[in-house]
Amino acid sequence: MSLPLARFALEVDVRLEGASVAVMGRSGSGKTSLLEVLAGLRRGARGRVVVGGRVLLDSAARVDLAPEARRMGYVPQDALLFPHLTAEQNVRYGARAGRPSRVDEAVALLELGPMLHRYPATLSGGEKQRVALARALATDPALLLLDEPLAALDVTLKERVLPYLLRVRDEARVPMLYVTHQLGEARVLAKEALLLEDGRVRAAGPASEVLGASARGLLASEAEGEENILEGALERVPEGGTRLRVTEGLSLWVPDAPELPPGTRAAYAVPAEDILLSMGPLSGVSARNVLAGNVVGVERVGAGEAAATVDIAGTRWVVRLTEASVRELGVAPGVRVHLAVKTSACRRLR
Amino acid sequence: MTDDTTGLVLFTVKVAVVATLIILPPGVAAAYALARWRGPGRGFVDTVLALPLVLPPTAVGLVLLELLGRNGPLGRILDAVGVEVVFTPGAVVLASAVMAFPLLVRSARSGFEEVDPRLVAVARTLGDTPARAFFRVTLPLAWRGVAVGALLAFSRALGEFGATVLVAGNIPGRTQTLSLAIFQHTQLGQDARALQLAGIAALLAFVAVYATEGLTRWRGRRVRA
Repeated sequence: MSLPLARFALEVDVRLEGASVAVMGRSGSGKTSLLEVLAGLRRGARGRVVVGGRVLLDSAARVDLAPEARRMGYVPQDALLFPHLTAEQNVRYGARAGRPSRVDEAVALLELGPMLHRYPATLSGGEKQRVALARALATDPALLLLDEPLAALDVTLKERVLPYLLRVRDEARVPMLYVTHQLGEARVLAKEALLLEDGRVRAAGPASEVLGASARGLLASEAEGEENILEGALERVPEGGTRLRVTEGLSLWVPDAPELPPGTRAAYAVPAEDILLSMGPLSGVSARNVLAGNVVGVERVGAGEAAATVDIAGTRWVVRLTEASVRELGVAPGVRVHLAVKTSACRRLR
Repeated sequence: MTDDTTGLVLFTVKVAVVATLIILPPGVAAAYALARWRGPGRGFVDTVLALPLVLPPTAVGLVLLELLGRNGPLGRILDAVGVEVVFTPGAVVLASAVMAFPLLVRSARSGFEEVDPRLVAVARTLGDTPARAFFRVTLPLAWRGVAVGALLAFSRALGEFGATVLVAGNIPGRTQTLSLAIFQHTQLGQDARALQLAGIAALLAFVAVYATEGLTRWRGRRVRA
């Protein structure tokens, strides 16, 4: 489909199958416009949009469904709750007699119980986002359109919304299209990714491929404060301690959390600059997590700074180091490296 | 109060209420259109709608008289179907309505302008048709502007004089309102009676303005609470 915009035309021709798709790109690359076209909020789009087999837009056949007929669950960046309605009335807004409603499920999933009778003006940024998510989810949408749901929040609040997004993805079973410019977020949330540059698709496909090293250049300075986000099931170790099982071949020591029962799904963030990269196997270091992997990309991210992307058991890790280290150690694609991660560098997102 | 005075006050309030109710639907529609319309002609329509605010009321009354008089373009049509407007209570309502209309539109328009159009967009994605979204989101959020506008219009209609006297005359017991009666009694040198009526008019105006202020405060509190 295509849409003329002020600076360029948005041209997207892509077929996505994943249950969760990250849409990435710099500010002004057309991410939000793409969501608005899908939601039917932008007039003037041409082409064809099909979601789950339903034709929403087909300009050749003169089909252009109104927003209310599209069943898109739109969650804008700033939540945009109805200020004259309570949280509960907001969530129930789209529920109609004779249509399947998922109000109760959405309220439970996003843990809105204690705030149902409050007005949006009294809710925190993270709470507003949760209500907005529930409001979209309650209409039983064919697709959730999330426009940077975490961007307007500061880091601590972000940590409280991300797990809910993971629950929505895993438990509500509604496909989602997720706009973000944070690589870490995209890596943990998305199975597929779509990279936009000036309104055109630069890359699309499995998230692990698209969100590799090459993505960073297109996202510019957003790599500042980059984090590796890992999600998995917690395991108790009889001798003491807690491990996060990310994949078959990758488990991490994380700060002990005895209050969480084994099997709990949890997400952890590891800042890219808190990881030590070594060319040889490490022994006798205090860091309890030493992980072997292969470098898949190295690039400059600023004055004297570099970021290496390392594949460990199928997961992508980003490590920040100086350009001098890259030269001296000979860090290059294909090279085998070891990463040391202190347990305390793993911060649980909750 | 004497029966005379009671009748006068009731007639005046009734005229103001009816005039306000009549202009409410077109006034809200015009306010909404002006708040959302971004195309050409906006400034022109805006100015025309503001004219009754700045023109001498007698000029507006004269225009109405020329239009609705028996030889006027509208008057002739009305005459043909047996409707007479000029110098009737209907003319009092009409003059008040025309003079009050811009006040309603201005206040309601600023109410609509404060409503984020993206809230309406969200309502659409949640299944609302444009009309449903208007009544569930836009109107409730612009409600204060509309209500304040209606009260201002009502207050304006209560005191209307210039346009009314031209198009409806000053006929005691038929088209005479409080402000017309004050004028008449002053002319006749019955200052005490005129002052008494002026006192009643002041009381009515006080209640209307106080209600407007109260409404503004109450509504503001609830949204912030």
